[in-house]
Amino acid sequence: MRFVIPSAARNLGPRSLMPGVIAVCCVPLFIVALLAADRSVHAPKRPRAKSVWDSVYTANQAARGETAYTNTCARCHKASLAGADESPALTGSSFLANWNGQTVRDLHDRVRTSMPTDDPGTYGRQLVTDVIAYVFKVNGFPAGSSELPSAADSLKDITIQSAKP
Amino acid sequence: MHRNARALSLAVLATFGALAPAAAQTAPPFTTKNGEWPSYTGDTKGTRYSPLDQINAANFSSLQVAWRFKTDSLGPRPEFKLESTPLMVKGVLYTTGGTGRAVVALDAVTGAQKWVHREDEGERGAAAPRPLSGRGLAYWTDGREERIIYVTPGYRLIALDAKTGNPVESFGANGVVDLKADLDQTISPDLTTGEIGYQGAPVVARDVVVIGAAFREGTAPRSFKNNKGYIRGFDVRTGKRLWTFHTIPQKGEPGYDTWLNGSAEVTGNTGVWTQVTVDEELGLVYLPVESPTGDYYGGHRPGNNLYGESIVCLDLKTGAKKWHYQIVHHPIWDFDLASAPILADITVDRRPIKAVALPTKQGILYVFDRVTGKPVWPFEEKPVEKGEVPGEWYSPTQPIPTKPPAYAKNGVSLDDLVDFTPDLKAQAVALASKYKLGPVFTPPVMSKAEGPIGTLARGPTNGGTNWNGGAFDPETHMVYVAASNAAPSVLGLVQPAAGRSDMNWIAGSAGGGGRGGLAVQGLPLFKPPYGTLSAIDLDKGDIAWQVAHGETPDVVRNHEALKGMNIPRTGQPGFLVATLVTKTLVIAGDAQVTSPPGRERGAMLRAYDKRTGTQVGEVLLPAAPSGAPMTYAVNGTQYIVVPVSGGPYSGEFIALRLAGGR
Repeated sequence: MRFVIPSAARNLGPRSLMPGVIAVCCVPLFIVALLAADRSVHAPKRPRAKSVWDSVYTANQAARGETAYTNTCARCHKASLAGADESPALTGSSFLANWNGQTVRDLHDRVRTSMPTDDPGTYGRQLVTDVIAYVFKVNGFPAGSSELPSAADSLKDITIQSAKP
Repeated sequence: MHRNARALSLAVLATFGALAPAAAQTAPPFTTKNGEWPSYTGDTKGTRYSPLDQINAANFSSLQVAWRFKTDSLGPRPEFKLESTPLMVKGVLYTTGGTGRAVVALDAVTGAQKWVHREDEGERGAAAPRPLSGRGLAYWTDGREERIIYVTPGYRLIALDAKTGNPVESFGANGVVDLKADLDQTISPDLTTGEIGYQGAPVVARDVVVIGAAFREGTAPRSFKNNKGYIRGFDVRTGKRLWTFHTIPQKGEPGYDTWLNGSAEVTGNTGVWTQVTVDEELGLVYLPVESPTGDYYGGHRPGNNLYGESIVCLDLKTGAKKWHYQIVHHPIWDFDLASAPILADITVDRRPIKAVALPTKQGILYVFDRVTGKPVWPFEEKPVEKGEVPGEWYSPTQPIPTKPPAYAKNGVSLDDLVDFTPDLKAQAVALASKYKLGPVFTPPVMSKAEGPIGTLARGPTNGGTNWNGGAFDPETHMVYVAASNAAPSVLGLVQPAAGRSDMNWIAGSAGGGGRGGLAVQGLPLFKPPYGTLSAIDLDKGDIAWQVAHGETPDVVRNHEALKGMNIPRTGQPGFLVATLVTKTLVIAGDAQVTSPPGRERGAMLRAYDKRTGTQVGEVLLPAAPSGAPMTYAVNGTQYIVVPVSGGPYSGEFIALRLAGGR
């Protein structure tokens, strides 16, 4: 598999902005660096990582996800997943750009902890997983014979890759 | 070089500093001329202009991080949608942040937190139609007292002491005005869960606070009835309501008859969810009004529906209407007026005009004389297609300005579709064949599984320019505005499932047939440029320059079918890209993160020569700017602060300055 998430790609902030900053912005930078280091522990390099192009969900699961999406997400992100003034699109160029190179676990965490905005954290893992399967379907990633798992450990082995390898 | 730049900036500050005492009688005490940023858009005029020039073409790319402030701990969980632009007055930054919209004061030089104020609004906050951190604050002073004015997610207006962050007891009831009360209507069903709120930054001018009103996203509302988005002015000293403007006229008021069948009584929304601007000198307020209830279906509200999608000018002290112009008659495209009106003093044919310019989702800049409300260049009422949705009422015409030309693509034809290769073009045409195509103002259709699934549009919802609006340069008389060309919207209507809504039609796609993404092999359906930055000369009514804005998206650069092709920078579909103008630069961030070879993943903050549009510098940010950048100077050092967030990256303010700054 061509795409591997390097841990360095996660904490690019301070370094890419300026190598010499450390002397002048100790506290916030230090915290950010710690966070980045912590995350790299959770996302070690995995030479055999899968991507969303490897048929990581099933058509049935996407159908369940569509129902869940319609009942929960569509009120803001719209039936077309195109988003609206306040809600980001879940399909197309801007969605793929946000998540390209990230893991499905990152996406799952984000949805589970921040959605819905009026009662965050109330969607179960399985519901979020199914909705993600549906989102993958709409974005053109292929379905297969095994369901997308809900376990965080498994999800972190699957990379979201915007362009087909 | 840096020392020279700083010396120059100091000279500018010294000049303005010397002028300041004389001007203090009439001008607001703090302005961008003095290196401050005292209002959401720099001033109350929507310009986002600062004359600072220490950061310029020669050094922009060498900007470094002065400090960073992560907003995670301001709320119970990280926020991924940080839209706030801080204010800067007297060396202190004031901003909102965090999921519960806390207010925080930071040292403008170090980023150190000085105070934080949080409100726990419980169920009322959770029910907010416009939750999260919001867009910002207003600052007010009478020369002695300093106040920070903000609106909570639960729609309460609060005045804080700028020095301490404590509520000002003498304002409202113990520092708080309940915005769901005293609104010339009863908010249904109750004050806790009743739908109304505001996430924009309040505006203060001449001791009057003007507050907008917003609701949930409305393409598929639960009812054609809703609360109304009246706009109010309050006394900044006492919190007393001074006036209320009925954005849907009440019986007996002019415009009531533009709502046939008495539909003004029950229709709601029609608020102002974006920024209000004020001409402090003229004492005039400019409201960009949103759509009435039902973004894509107006059958329950026949008629032109004033003041839906109208620009309305009010007297600041009394709220009396001075003039209005309806940009879209009988709104059914979700063409909310989403950008702050920009107040621009221009010269057309040697005649000075106090103008107001309005960027829009449809990529048209509407320009008026802001005193009279008359278009600077005539608008023509152009015939538009009448649709066939049962029960809908259609306006036969829509106003289109003769100048300036549209600065973004706003219709769809087969010629607009991606054509990098014949194969891609064929697939795009096949995809588009399931939709109805047409120019701007092609109406929504009943969605059919066999097609059309909907009208394929550019503009509605996430096209053109949205709430970040544009910027205006008082020196060049240019409006600098970013726009998206490539985010399609589907205007399809379905009958709601039982119990879902009492609307006859709501947005949706029939049967799920043919449903799916509007991309071709993952590529945008449309040709590049996907997004642009334009300079529009308001003296001439012409587009002076236009460039593709934003790095070519990864999905395009890495695409199998495009290997070996030389594709110039495509720009990005960025309907939320804000512009900032300084003495010499236009500054705008990329809408998306990218990871081209040779650099780490991130989004660029770009600087352009404001006279030519040539890119002169860029700085990599860890996530895309999710709100508008601002700039200020303290102790002779210029800073640029950018809010970033999105995808997996939670909210953070990043302050930039040149190396060696104190």
